[in-house]
Amino acid sequence: MRMTKKISAAVAVSVLLSGVISVPSASAQKRISIGATETISSHNPHGDSISMGYGIWCQVYGCLGYFDFASGSYKGMLAEKWEVDAKDPNVWTFYLRKGLKRQNDGKELTSADVVHSFWRMKNDKQSRQTQNVKHVAKAEALDKYTVRVTTKKPTAPLLEFLFDRVMITSKDLYDKHGARNADRKFPWGWGPYKLKQIDIGQRIVLEKDASNPWAKSTMPDELIFRVMRESEQRVTALLNNEIQIAQFIPPHLASRISKDKGADLVPTSSVELMFLAMSPKFKPWDNPVLRKAVCHAINRDGIIKAILKGQAQRLDAPIGPGQYGYDPKAAAAMKIDYNVAKAKAMIEKAGLKGTKVALSTPVGRYVNDKQVTESMIPMLKAIGLDATLKTPEWPTLWANVQKGKVPFFYMGRGGVVDPSPAFAQYFETGGSPRIGFSSAKVDSLLQKERATFDPEARKKVINEAFAEIVKAQPACFMWRHKLLYGISKKVAYKPTPTGRIWGSDIVVK
Amino acid sequence: MFQYIARRIFGTIPVIILISMLVFMLVQFAPGDPADLLLSDEATTEDIEAARERWGLNQPVYVQYWKFLTAALQGDLGTSFRYADPVLLMIGDRLPATIELAFFAILIAIVFGVPLGVWAGARPNSWIDNVGSFFGFFGISMPSFWFGIMLILIVSGFLNLLPSAGRNTYGIADDPITGFYILDSILYWNWKAVLDGLSFIILPAIALGTNMLGILMRVTRSSVLEVMHEDMVRTARAKGLSEHKVLWRHAFRNALIPIITVVGLELGTLLSGSIIVETVFSWPGSGSLLIEAINSRDYPLITGTVLAYTLMFVIINLTIDIIYAAIDPRIRFGN
Repeated sequence: MRMTKKISAAVAVSVLLSGVISVPSASAQKRISIGATETISSHNPHGDSISMGYGIWCQVYGCLGYFDFASGSYKGMLAEKWEVDAKDPNVWTFYLRKGLKRQNDGKELTSADVVHSFWRMKNDKQSRQTQNVKHVAKAEALDKYTVRVTTKKPTAPLLEFLFDRVMITSKDLYDKHGARNADRKFPWGWGPYKLKQIDIGQRIVLEKDASNPWAKSTMPDELIFRVMRESEQRVTALLNNEIQIAQFIPPHLASRISKDKGADLVPTSSVELMFLAMSPKFKPWDNPVLRKAVCHAINRDGIIKAILKGQAQRLDAPIGPGQYGYDPKAAAAMKIDYNVAKAKAMIEKAGLKGTKVALSTPVGRYVNDKQVTESMIPMLKAIGLDATLKTPEWPTLWANVQKGKVPFFYMGRGGVVDPSPAFAQYFETGGSPRIGFSSAKVDSLLQKERATFDPEARKKVINEAFAEIVKAQPACFMWRHKLLYGISKKVAYKPTPTGRIWGSDIVVK
Repeated sequence: MFQYIARRIFGTIPVIILISMLVFMLVQFAPGDPADLLLSDEATTEDIEAARERWGLNQPVYVQYWKFLTAALQGDLGTSFRYADPVLLMIGDRLPATIELAFFAILIAIVFGVPLGVWAGARPNSWIDNVGSFFGFFGISMPSFWFGIMLILIVSGFLNLLPSAGRNTYGIADDPITGFYILDSILYWNWKAVLDGLSFIILPAIALGTNMLGILMRVTRSSVLEVMHEDMVRTARAKGLSEHKVLWRHAFRNALIPIITVVGLELGTLLSGSIIVETVFSWPGSGSLLIEAINSRDYPLITGTVLAYTLMFVIINLTIDIIYAAIDPRIRFGN
């Protein structure tokens, strides 16, 4: 009897608690929570180089501009317009918008702030964004609203490095309070959102600055980026309305969202290129026949259908639609067909039958990476190679790839809007030791495209460089994953291929 | 007693130094370079070299360790490579969340595990013994990461009862006083925040505490079963005491020593278990911080966090030893 009473009391308390405790959700105040996979690790806007971080800081401090995927062109934000000097292609001039008022104190944006930001990005000991200004020799204020940037060499893709990557922070606040206090106590900028809270490892909270020219009434009043690394958790949180936008849903969980009445599954193409790298500085990969045979051996369509559940776009050329320089005709000419018989014959003719090859893959870094590469092993065996799979821990694999110590690996390269930086890094001599590829012709074409400012002419040169790379095959270009987002029906949002989430793109219904 | 405690504290110093050396060497020799991992994919070779220089990674390992040790003895565990904040400050920020989670996990384990074990031990082979044993084996055999995901899927997802991730809802709490969210909310008399904190902590605490609950239940059961056959229990019954008093006042107290030993040992396991559970539930404690530090090879943060865990483990063991004497007058220090 006594036991029954105790159990009844416990049940009553549980029921009471479950009634009192309600799962947090978007309130009438237009608060939108986003389940994010990444977190910024510093209050310093230059202290990280991650996609989500660039997006957040750009909305708070403001940046010179951004790439607009809808129009396929760069748009100005703090910079109203820009131009390259007709006589000296090293000289760029950026004209700032006039009358932009800083959050909280209304101080106007000036060229001194922009010059300071270039300086800080390069010289701050915490900066992890120095690569973004590596082409810049000098930034100087011509007048209150005009900044002249001089590059070391003519750099046509300069905007790829500067726009939405150079955060414009305040010179006066830095001078007065020092870096640490300015970042923590006075994170005031010219963007549409104020930084309200950073709880590193848990969340970042932004609050709309209604007086800002980019702040629209339909935009959320508060944006909360919640760190949720587990995909199951993001899906669950979306379905019980803890969050309204869930980033990067893996294909095997997609059906949970698509079956739900309260949320939609929204795909977007990514700008991350997935490829198989084969370093010619290692044997047997120095043999171009082997590299070409491997590219013919991989059934990309089959993998996309069976393992990636259709959530990827095959790459016929090194880049795909929507990326700068993509030309469908050129891509069709570069397409490597899936042809086992041809690959097998090539291997046999070159006397490579039974050659041992070990494919290294990250595990859990990219969508179904281990399953994808596991499926490649029988494909490689089918053409006569003695293939095995290696699955080192990511830090080990990445460190070795960075140092050019891995002969054959599956990898992705993100953030490829304008392909120039990525291809210089991987395929230009001295770009990085990762693939160990070197070709005088590719080098000269990549240098030429950087110095070609006419967009159409530049696209042509880019595709010539691509054709040379595909001809030598130091890498087989596989696909771009489709990024799947789970989005509550209470919100209208079209995700961007870069993975950055802009409050201005979100409409609260 | 004072001498004993002083001797134990003094004895931990070489242990901590040895562990710091082991951890420092292990992380240094593990493959993967912090500069490669922490800088952007687009970083140039020069950027990577500059970072290595800045972080002192170009110096010999023994020089790096000596610098770390001399600074640590002055209370400076260095600066995190990734977060660019002092390690001590970061651990101080995150540790309360871990302690709070561990506290609730222990609470769940003790509140459910001990009574279940006592009842099961007092009535072997009865229905309560069967139920208790089921929960005991369930807890022992259930991996916390899997159980955590199941809790998220069922309790948060299917039943939609409790939140699945994080420590609290934004905008409810007041400024922290101690860093313990629920305690701070009680101090502010903010009951909405208390309930909010409880709603977030229940699932990770269950995931973390279930294993301990199972072990505690089994140990308590065996211990009580053994004590129930001793002469003093027969004497207590002969004196005419009620079965309830015999069980809780006499048998249970005598069965406590092995239970406390297990609680002490399991606290260490709980701390290491929190590393997994915090990751599953996005709990912003020192466990998830350690995972992030390991993944980015943030040497100062790894060493600092492991040292903090070591220190906690040593303190817990010392406390357990002191409790022994308090509950069993037969135990005397130094004899």
